[in-house]
Amino acid sequence: MTSTSTGGALSDADFERFTEYFYKRTGIHFTSAKRYFVDKRIDTCIRNSPYETFLTWFAALRMADRTDMLQQVINELTVNETYFLREDYQFDAMLSTVLPGVLAARGGVSRMVGPLKILSLPCSTGEEPYSIALRLLEEWDQIDHVDVEIHGADIDSEVLAKAAHASYGERSLQRVPKAWVNKYFTSVGSGRYQVDEGIRSAVTLHKMNICDTAAMKAFRDFDVIFCRNVLIYFDELSSRRAAENLYGALRPGGYLFLGHSESMSRISPIFTPTRLPEGIVYQRPTGAT
Amino acid sequence: MTRVLVVDDAATVRLYHTSLLREAGFDVAEAANGLEAVEAAMSTPYDLFVVDVNMPKMNGYACVETLRSETVGTAAPVLMISTEDRPGDADRAYQAGANLYMVKPVDAERLVRVATMLTAGKGPAA
Amino acid sequence: MGLVRKTASTEPEEVVPPEPSVETLLQQVQDTDPELRREAALSLVEVAEAVPVLLARVGVETEARVRDAVLTTLAAHDTATVAAGLAVHLASDEAGLRTAVAEALATMPRSAPDLMPDLLAAPDHDVRVMTAMILADLPHPDAKTWLLRMIAEDPHPNVVTGAIDALLPAADAGDVPVLQAAVARFPDDPFLRFTVQAALPRLTGTA
Repeated sequence: MTSTSTGGALSDADFERFTEYFYKRTGIHFTSAKRYFVDKRIDTCIRNSPYETFLTWFAALRMADRTDMLQQVINELTVNETYFLREDYQFDAMLSTVLPGVLAARGGVSRMVGPLKILSLPCSTGEEPYSIALRLLEEWDQIDHVDVEIHGADIDSEVLAKAAHASYGERSLQRVPKAWVNKYFTSVGSGRYQVDEGIRSAVTLHKMNICDTAAMKAFRDFDVIFCRNVLIYFDELSSRRAAENLYGALRPGGYLFLGHSESMSRISPIFTPTRLPEGIVYQRPTGAT
Repeated sequence: MTRVLVVDDAATVRLYHTSLLREAGFDVAEAANGLEAVEAAMSTPYDLFVVDVNMPKMNGYACVETLRSETVGTAAPVLMISTEDRPGDADRAYQAGANLYMVKPVDAERLVRVATMLTAGKGPAA
Repeated sequence: MGLVRKTASTEPEEVVPPEPSVETLLQQVQDTDPELRREAALSLVEVAEAVPVLLARVGVETEARVRDAVLTTLAAHDTATVAAGLAVHLASDEAGLRTAVAEALATMPRSAPDLMPDLLAAPDHDVRVMTAMILADLPHPDAKTWLLRMIAEDPHPNVVTGAIDALLPAADAGDVPVLQAAVARFPDDPFLRFTVQAALPRLTGTA
């Protein structure tokens, strides 16, 4: 393969330049191990743009600071593979241990002030927040006694649009019990099912960059946050800042779930790890702070 | 078998301590910083912790304090091994809850002897 | 009861609380409430005029999580002023402070390298041990050169073993003589001997 600026492969210097810029804007760092993936996705962006070469496209992206162009690159470069009830054992932990702990810490159902708040970040195309909604409605014995707010947030506007539409194919729904599909979804043809309006309207969606401290201040007093499989893509400083922003979004004593293979132990010591039967979860300390 | 957790951010130190202790019959696991050690200790009960001082994310003193706190709540012996030999370091280690403080390098025989002593009653291999 | 939509969410736009002014944030960094200090330190990201106040905070801050937030914000500046202001704490008697500062410096590839001549020559060997820790993670092409120099020249065995630990992930067959020379310089250090012997097969295998 030859590498020309229009042949779908970036030069080493262009790759460096782009990844540095992308890191500064998003906190997401691509090493050369992701070279092939990045090259292909950028080629797609250039083809979809009025520019013909990497350099002219990149100059427009940088100099004009076009947010729509940046958004498109982010959409191309962030992976959004997900399905309903993924890593379900964490939802088990939420129902069996975490939510009872939250209710107790907040003075019990009768004395609780304000709703119970759950955040899915990143929520991608919506499978996670809707999975949380389904499991609460079907399996949480307190759901009729407690107000629950579910929020989903993602940096990618395209996946958020899909999350809002909430229509899913069979592959995405394969782990959802048939009875739940019948109860909470409507067939919209071509083997796709849309989450019913009642649930869709109860889930609030937000466009959010987890590394943006100022913007993250919109998130406050969450009891539970799911932040799965995203911090691993961040470099040291960005993952630290993301962790610190998540800390600020949690109520003292609130719980943070990371992805199955992730651990705070390589990121930040500000949370207290807590051992549950289903695995380790992190808590914002309740102490002096 | 007596279970030991070797906690050090330096891979070479972990390898050294782990090899010596395994050879002596201990069952050894590793952690690369204080937080990893805390998480490991939540899942597995260890009979001895061998802990470095200078580590990223959570240093040795903070690690030992957390091991002793209700977050983990282990009473298992802790041996701290440090490159630091400033006055006051040993006191700091004992305040945190360590049972013994040693300065690197620690020779093979001494490490095994101390580990055996600290886990007396459990002993290394059966 | 049940699932409820966020109240006051009729408009889809985020309701972000207005950001306090830089002056207010600079005062909050020194507030008695640690959570206010932590949030203010994080919010001062990319505010150059906050650097002196944040640097002054590093040495006196007693709450580790506030200090982490201060360092997260400072490290992003990656300037000579910040690097020099942090490096003084490598000699701290407080383990939490010196390791946190070393971690921050390791994320500053533009400014940390200029400190190396001084740090490599620091009279306190504990500072040089921390320097090896920085070089282990510093993403800079010269990191390996400095580590090799520490291994070849540093008079303290704990500095040399620290540098060897930092070097090994990037070492190759060409580094074998330096490693063997280090063993010869400290014949009484059992750990150094063990480490080099354990690493040799992999290094010579890549020749």
